[in-house]
Amino acid sequence: MIEVRGLTKLYGSFTAVHDLSFEVGVGEVLGLVGPNGAGKTTTLRCLAGIIAPSRGTVAVAGHDIRTEAIEAKRALAFIPDEPHLFDYLSVEEHLRFIARLYGVADVDARLPALLDELELSEKRRALPGELSRGMRQKLAIACGLLHSPSVLILDEPLTGLDPAGIRRMRQTISARAAAGTAVILSSHLLNLVEELCTRLVVLRRGECVAFGTLGQIIAERPDLAGRSLEDVFLALTGTGGAS
Amino acid sequence: MNAFLYLVSRSARNRARSLVRGARSPRYLAALAVGAFYVWAFLIRPVNRGASGSFLLGQPTEMIVTLLSVLTLMGSWVFGSDATALAFTQAEVSLLFPAPLSRRALMGYKLFRSQTAMLINALIWVFVLRRGGSTLPGVLRAISVWALFSTLNLHRLGAALVRTSWREHAGAGVRRHRWSAAVFVLIGAAVVAGVIREHEALLSALGAGAFFTALGHALASPPASWGLLPFHLVVAPTFAHDAREWGRDIGPALLVLAFHAWWVLRTDAAFEDAAIDASAERARRLDAIRARRGLGASAAPRTATRTIALAAVGHPALAIVWKNILCLRRTAQLRLLVGPLAMAIIIGSAIAGGVGGVPAMVAASALVLAGLLVVFGGRLIRNDLRQDMQHLPLLKSLPIAPGDLMVAEVVSGALPMAVLQQTLLVVAFAASIGLPSLPLDGSTRLALLIASPIAVLALNGALLTIQNGTAVLFPGWIRLGPAANTGVEALGQNLLASVSNLVSLAVALVIPAVVAFGTASLAGQPRAVTLALIVIIASAILALETYGALRLLGRAFAKAEPGVSEGG
Repeated sequence: MIEVRGLTKLYGSFTAVHDLSFEVGVGEVLGLVGPNGAGKTTTLRCLAGIIAPSRGTVAVAGHDIRTEAIEAKRALAFIPDEPHLFDYLSVEEHLRFIARLYGVADVDARLPALLDELELSEKRRALPGELSRGMRQKLAIACGLLHSPSVLILDEPLTGLDPAGIRRMRQTISARAAAGTAVILSSHLLNLVEELCTRLVVLRRGECVAFGTLGQIIAERPDLAGRSLEDVFLALTGTGGAS
Repeated sequence: MNAFLYLVSRSARNRARSLVRGARSPRYLAALAVGAFYVWAFLIRPVNRGASGSFLLGQPTEMIVTLLSVLTLMGSWVFGSDATALAFTQAEVSLLFPAPLSRRALMGYKLFRSQTAMLINALIWVFVLRRGGSTLPGVLRAISVWALFSTLNLHRLGAALVRTSWREHAGAGVRRHRWSAAVFVLIGAAVVAGVIREHEALLSALGAGAFFTALGHALASPPASWGLLPFHLVVAPTFAHDAREWGRDIGPALLVLAFHAWWVLRTDAAFEDAAIDASAERARRLDAIRARRGLGASAAPRTATRTIALAAVGHPALAIVWKNILCLRRTAQLRLLVGPLAMAIIIGSAIAGGVGGVPAMVAASALVLAGLLVVFGGRLIRNDLRQDMQHLPLLKSLPIAPGDLMVAEVVSGALPMAVLQQTLLVVAFAASIGLPSLPLDGSTRLALLIASPIAVLALNGALLTIQNGTAVLFPGWIRLGPAANTGVEALGQNLLASVSNLVSLAVALVIPAVVAFGTASLAGQPRAVTLALIVIIASAILALETYGALRLLGRAFAKAEPGVSEGG
């Protein structure tokens, strides 16, 4: 569903992401982890077509994100950690706006279920300014899910959600993956990553230091056998000593 | 207080350092130079101290300033409109409110902090009043202006505190602050009684000059003069003409200032809740200004008004136009048009010159307003890419061709503006029917009216394309970031942007004008038809140019990236 080859992003002489390659298939959930400044958000933005890679290619559902940008973007959804919402559009208007952009003809049929799923039904006429941080995040998620994307890119999706919202979001991600969506998830919540992700990409200073299932990663580092994911993460990223 | 001193001094030092760092950028340096030149030319440059100078420091101006001070402060008491008087910054609310500090210490800090703004304002006014032809040294004038502004600021703060106490403690609050309110009620009553006493003279005054003379007389006589005495004491040193006069007036002014400081510091009102609300309101306004919505659409609406239907399928660019029209409906306010409207009426009335009566004035005013909206409309209505650039990551993730996006963004502003201007042109045409001796005959006016829709649309489109293009190609000229949106450099930046917009439009009009004149002159039609043809042909070519520019800007937009600091 999404194929990344040799992805490199440079800002002047600074290398934010270096030679990253991976692919995420139908129904797979890939976890992107790394310390602050490792290049996770830059990677996700390159995948979503928000910024152009300096080198390398990204193909979404068979479409190159640079040469066939519109087709590629139509197949994906990017949900950032900070919800970008228009102050002057209500919850429902946001969804209708997205529906028109993505050509969701049956928006009227989809709206009630999606609003219920994200507990936004009672707020459908509210403006973002009237919503809590968590509700705004849910609206951003609803905008991402409305057109049933083939590829779902989530950057810290649980930020601002309450415990019930976090549980529901986990279920939503699992359900979408089970329905065939390829999911890329960036999060600092390692228990979430461990629970949901089928494979991991561990980034450090823009470089991939580990890739594969948790078992495969540990197999390459026998000294980490039997350790928690947190210990593995700290050891791989060099951000703390494994106890 | 040591911690407060540290906070204020370090903030000032860091601000200065960031200014120096910014000066290394050529763009910033150019803006700084233009802004500094502007300030010099209009504030500092020595000028001929003529009649206009004496007016600035004359008795009528002193009376107007006194009256405005009373009215402003009355507004604070009666309407509580100045809620932001209690505002702290978000960081101050987060760090100082939970700190072990008394309310008095917090209020003392707020007063201390406000001194920076007071001093800057005082310096500006010293330069402005320097043109008043007086011999008063600048330092003395600065002290006077500082005392005036500080007293007004303290009064606003005191009024806000008392009102907060009334709100928080109802009856008990009213009892606690009864003397504060009573004094201001007495002042207000004295002024109103004085005006009522002289109402016959005021009503019979013919013209603005006579009215102000009568008003001045009313305010200078008891009982109004008694009520205005504290205000007069504070205002008087600012209008002193020499050091001797200033020495006589400054003592009482400083006494009034000291009284206000004492009053505010002893008003131990529980202001925290009101201050937090005011701080949030101020933060919202600052965000709006930083996002350059301050001049156009106002800050975020509070509730959603009636929506407009949007079909689920169709060209995605229409979704962008739909979104932006909703933005305009929900955030633009009528007050945006008050300034241009007032200006248009004044200019229109002057042009009509009493000939032709109301229809002539309406026609002239409508034409002037339409013209003003062409020139300044793009600065008033900003429901386009200049607003959307703050959502750049979202826009770039949407499945819409960048060129289509650019066209949609520009149409969003150009279309509503064109509708407004066209309405004004129709009004002007209708009002001009039957008017004698106009520069253009009826058939020519009709021909131009028929040609005008394409002209206003093309002109608005071109101007908004230039402004949106600046946002894409030189985002730094539209928005330098929070720290750089104030000061001399921001002023210079605005001037440079305005001049470059007009130059760009002039360049864009060269080919349309040449081709239109050439083609129309060959046609050999009557004057009315020829003029209409020129307008239509020039507008069509300008529209084509604009469309081509938008397609090119789409390519630039595709390459635009959010700042690296915005992501990981």
